[in-house]
Amino acid sequence: MHRYKFVLYRPLQFLPVLLGISIITFVLVRLIPGDPARVLLGTKSTPAAIAAIRAQYGLDQPIWLQYFYFLQNLAHGEMGKSILYKIDVLRLITTRIEPTLALVLSAVLLSLVIAVPLASLAARSNGGPADHAVRFISTFGIGFPPFWLALMLIIFFSVRLDLFPVSGYGESLADKLYHLILPSLTIALSLSTVLIRSLRTAMIAELKGDIATAARARGMPESIVFWRHVMPNSLVPTVNLLAVNIGWLIGGTVVVESVFALPGMGQLLVRAIFSRDYMVVQGVAMVFACATVLVNFVADIVTVAIDPRVKQ
Amino acid sequence: MSEALLSVHDLSVVFSGDDGPRTLIDDLSFDLGKGEILGLVGESGSGKSLTCRSLVRLMPSPKLKITAGTVMLDGRDLTQVSEADIRSVRGRDIGMIFQNPTSHLDPLMRIGDQIAEGVRVHRGVDGKEARAVALDILAQVGFTHPARQYNGYPHEFSGGMRQRAMIGVALSCDPRILIADEPTTALDVTIQAQILRLLMDLRESRGLSVIMITHDLGIVAQTCDRIAVLRQGRLLEIGDKRDVLGQPQHPYTQNLIASHPSMPARQTTPVVMHDQTSTKARPLIEIDDLHVRFPVTGRALFGGGPREFSAVKGVSLQVMPGETVGIVGESGSGKSTLARALLGLAPISEGHVAFDGADIVTERTKALRKLRHETAMVFQDPYNALNPRLTIGAMLAEVLAVQESVPKERIHERIGELLDLVGLEREFADRKPLSMSGGQCQRAGIARALAVNPKLIVADECVAALDVTIQAQIVDLFRDLKKRLNLTLLFIAHDLAIVRSLCERVVVMYHGEIVEEGATAKVFAAPREAYTRALIGAIPDIDPDKPLLPPKGGEEFDDETSGLVTGEAS
Repeated sequence: MHRYKFVLYRPLQFLPVLLGISIITFVLVRLIPGDPARVLLGTKSTPAAIAAIRAQYGLDQPIWLQYFYFLQNLAHGEMGKSILYKIDVLRLITTRIEPTLALVLSAVLLSLVIAVPLASLAARSNGGPADHAVRFISTFGIGFPPFWLALMLIIFFSVRLDLFPVSGYGESLADKLYHLILPSLTIALSLSTVLIRSLRTAMIAELKGDIATAARARGMPESIVFWRHVMPNSLVPTVNLLAVNIGWLIGGTVVVESVFALPGMGQLLVRAIFSRDYMVVQGVAMVFACATVLVNFVADIVTVAIDPRVKQ
Repeated sequence: MSEALLSVHDLSVVFSGDDGPRTLIDDLSFDLGKGEILGLVGESGSGKSLTCRSLVRLMPSPKLKITAGTVMLDGRDLTQVSEADIRSVRGRDIGMIFQNPTSHLDPLMRIGDQIAEGVRVHRGVDGKEARAVALDILAQVGFTHPARQYNGYPHEFSGGMRQRAMIGVALSCDPRILIADEPTTALDVTIQAQILRLLMDLRESRGLSVIMITHDLGIVAQTCDRIAVLRQGRLLEIGDKRDVLGQPQHPYTQNLIASHPSMPARQTTPVVMHDQTSTKARPLIEIDDLHVRFPVTGRALFGGGPREFSAVKGVSLQVMPGETVGIVGESGSGKSTLARALLGLAPISEGHVAFDGADIVTERTKALRKLRHETAMVFQDPYNALNPRLTIGAMLAEVLAVQESVPKERIHERIGELLDLVGLEREFADRKPLSMSGGQCQRAGIARALAVNPKLIVADECVAALDVTIQAQIVDLFRDLKKRLNLTLLFIAHDLAIVRSLCERVVVMYHGEIVEEGATAKVFAAPREAYTRALIGAIPDIDPDKPLLPPKGGEEFDDETSGLVTGEAS
């Protein structure tokens, strides 16, 4: 089991990575033009009121000291107070994390459900009509930006056919899933095109490759050749591609959550940026960064589990 | 020959390409007897692999079609049976093993499971029973700890064990006929002997008929009963091996036999053992107690285990100007690392290497400058070593321009001279590697080495990827160049027969150390070390009456048979 040892020590390497991320986001957020105190007070702002707010939130301190306080708070499980919502950022995030998490998970699952059968179909009919159809669809998918796709899905399925809700998030589990169908389909359609291309290419190579030839030479039926040999070997390169794309997708939820009015982290982030809510932007960016690191860590574990040759 | 088990009659295979059909197999007929080993011999492109693929209709491309002929097995014509029927013939009646076990075994599946898979599908047993059969097969093909090794993955085994595993996978279907497509070409000579012996044992114990595809007549002479010689898809001659090797009818066969490095005609009588004046001359290369160690990568951060791997352990060697020294040894013996260290391409951990008096360790800059101007290397794979986007002329011009050894206006002329030297037409200056054959590319590679005007050429397995007749031509070219240009040649090879025919002195390496060194004739006639004896004994001789490995060969080199190379799987 020594191949899995990295599961124990790899998290130690995350600490400097996360520290670095926190410094960068902390500094970058403060480079955004505009003053949160001014935004908060709106038209009623007077120089005295602004100064009072700035002092209250520590914004008058030098930036390194602000960062030091931030770390100090973090050690106590706090990320500072949101200027807009008046509660601790960490608590704010925990109330918003569920829709985003559900959206990402369902989108990834849905994209696999779309990609694996379509890629298999295309690869096995390499050059045939099914292959051309799948390639046509996936080229289109790459061409359409998610925000446009989201609008089209709403117009067609929600407005015309009245099958799904236009926006929002439900109360019960079933209702929540019902609300998630169109948003996750939006993401899955874009994501699956990338996966289809990678899987299809890998499968075609494997179907013509030595492993498949050797299997056929010993009389294995095509089903065993495909599912036992071609499929696992094609999945190896796709796992890492998927991990990279999930990282990108976590950031991409911002657009989809805005279009579908899902009360998730993406929506929170957009509002926080507009209101110069430093603490929230900082916190959400940190959570996104942690999630990306975590996803890649999980992908490494999956790769080691699939491919006995890999050593981390 | 007993009655025919498999009978091929007038088989033709046609490739329908964009520029019209081409006949790749032309009216081929032969029989395979029960328990017989038939050797299919020919050079690359002769159609020997394609013939065997056609027997079970496993065509490498959909553009290849069997257009005529019959393949009769048990009264059925395999070219006509249904797709389902041919699938039940594959594996079950006719099994196959391939040249490269690394790419043909599934890297993600335990080797035991790969064997059990065939058992399940073809023998209709399942679960525990299939596992038991698989364990039995593992033992039969020479795994010493089947129960433990069942769980190993292909990459955990050495090349020889992987080939054994692949034979095991073929046996899992319990075939009557085994097609072995160059089964030992990728293996070291001692391992090759073990695999060949295994195949012969299996023939005895199972009554297996074998079609052995090979380019090495030595292997045929040692293992086969009959030989079929193929060229350009045609059968030139077929017959008992003693007849074909003794009285070859076709000129091509005669040439093939004459090209074999173990033929007496090809062995140089020790060319004036570098006349004794050389004792006064300064050696061109001086290697003194050289150690090369590489850090072991992939260690766990807090794990134990060795930090370094020793590729070369305390090697000392002197090479005189004008000498031709062969370095032989199996893969992993450190022979390539030694050459790379000598050229300043591998880190020197300890010891000293001097080229023409310049020490690579203490005067690195000076020595490297000297090395780059006075040494050149010829590589194993001519296609990969040449830039596919450059014409041969452009490639040579580049070297000449960098070296500044000839004035600009003479470069064109010099390119012509270099091509003359290596026996290429001058028109080749305008050709690119992809439009050339392997032998022509290797000649171009040698021309590039000569462009440096080197004192020393290091040739690393430079004929290993070539056909025998081409091998012989390249070796002749080296012999000729050596004489004309007074070159010093360091010839690295795992093929002892070639070294024997070309080199005056031979150095035998094993596990990073020199185990034996001396005049070639002497070492081959009376090897001192058991390892050298085993190495020499394992060369398949073209004379069928000089058997492979003496009955009690040197000590067994148990690296190969101890199984899991990576040690104990926890």
